[in-house]
Amino acid sequence: MKLHSFVLVGLLLVSGLAQADRLDDIKKAGVLRVAAFDGNPPFGYIDEHSKKIVGLDVDYAEALARKLGVKLELVPTNPANRIPLLSSNKVDLVFANFTITEERAKVIDFSIPYIASGQQFLAKKGVLKSPDQIKDLKIGADKGTTMESTLREKYPSARVISFDDTPFALAALRNGNVQAITQDGTKLVALLANLPDRDKYEIPSFAISEELEGVGVPKGEKRLVEYINTWLLDAEKDGTAKRIYDKYFGPKSKSPLPRLFKIGDSHIREK
Amino acid sequence: MDFSVIHGNLAYLLWGSWPDGPLGGAALTALLSIGSALASAALGLLLGVMLAMSCGRLKTALILGLGFFRAIPVLMLIFWTYFLLPIAFGIDVPGILSVMCALSLIGGAYLAHSVCAGIRGIGRGQWQAGLSLGFSRLNVLRYIVLPQALRMMLPSFINQWVSLIKDTSLAYIVGVGELSFLAAQVNSRTMVYPAEIFLFVGAIYFTLCSALDVMARQLGKRYRSATHSH
Repeated sequence: MKLHSFVLVGLLLVSGLAQADRLDDIKKAGVLRVAAFDGNPPFGYIDEHSKKIVGLDVDYAEALARKLGVKLELVPTNPANRIPLLSSNKVDLVFANFTITEERAKVIDFSIPYIASGQQFLAKKGVLKSPDQIKDLKIGADKGTTMESTLREKYPSARVISFDDTPFALAALRNGNVQAITQDGTKLVALLANLPDRDKYEIPSFAISEELEGVGVPKGEKRLVEYINTWLLDAEKDGTAKRIYDKYFGPKSKSPLPRLFKIGDSHIREK
Repeated sequence: MDFSVIHGNLAYLLWGSWPDGPLGGAALTALLSIGSALASAALGLLLGVMLAMSCGRLKTALILGLGFFRAIPVLMLIFWTYFLLPIAFGIDVPGILSVMCALSLIGGAYLAHSVCAGIRGIGRGQWQAGLSLGFSRLNVLRYIVLPQALRMMLPSFINQWVSLIKDTSLAYIVGVGELSFLAAQVNSRTMVYPAEIFLFVGAIYFTLCSALDVMARQLGKRYRSATHSH
């Protein structure tokens, strides 16, 4: 009996290895399963009218599904579930403002970055002027993000309070539980644009790190990564990338932000 | 307080994007609760009877098994079924099912002990009377002991089910779109009305739990008068 179940598990593992090409699997299934944020405007959030997940990351995922000629199936995720969803084969890809780090690259693979930003802060006006004030403040961050770990590493004496998602951190800032919250500059700009009392808050201009965000891919899927990279570079060339960016951050959007990073760059350009 | 945010998202919070998309919100919370309540009751009854009637090794195994499920947090069990079963054994369990399994197993383990205690609470005289009338042990249990024991256990069952309704909110960890999960989504989009949204969510849980309490009491009353009229 015991031996039997051992053999069974062994077979399952081997069969898992044998069909390791995810690109073919996706085409065969006719469905691309993508994990996206459901609570992080403008990257991934629930649309007020359609009640579906929409956003910048979703637009990219849709474009890729179109290119592959398959249906897109979205799975909502929070920051901390992104890697478990990939490694348990619940999704094929993660499009969720996913910062590329060496630590994460040990367990999953990344495409080239398709958007970039710096880690910045949002605080009541006048509270935070320069980076050396960070160490004396109580700061809200999102659990399982690079923001959280960078902050703890660079400013060990700052009091970092972790929240499940950005809205909870924002609520804590508004209630005075924390004095600042930290996030990607891109996200904070969009967040600030949505606040009814936005004139009371500001995003200090300094950034404490550079965040390059790519597509999360299961470990070892080389063909899939190459396919996505080629597609991303094409999206830059044919203007798709700019069109998607402008929809959320263009001059006519709610939260205008100059586009300082193009797909294929390795760093954010100076203003 | 500005409750227009609730008004604007009422349908979404109550039944998600259904009928265009999957059922969610309070409706899914209710369905998850009903499903796990029934499964946990069946499991609890079966295991409780086994616990009360068994002896020796079987009993030790039962006590250890039930102890395991009572000792691990619901959140862990949901997380394990959803994320670890696929990695370890290649078994893919959908989110809703993993939540129902976890809630039923843990609820069942708690209820088994209540059922066992209920059966033990019925006097030995009842057993002896039944056996001397020529009933088999199983029939004594079925016709004499359980009807009395179940009546005494009803409050334990209600307690367990009420806590189960609230535990469905843990489904957020695997992205199942029940009430609290959708409320967090709406909160994420609107950003500045957390107090209004979560007060409303609290009120819905209160309504669900109170409705269960009232219904179960009514049922208990009817059952009691039915057995008395024999």
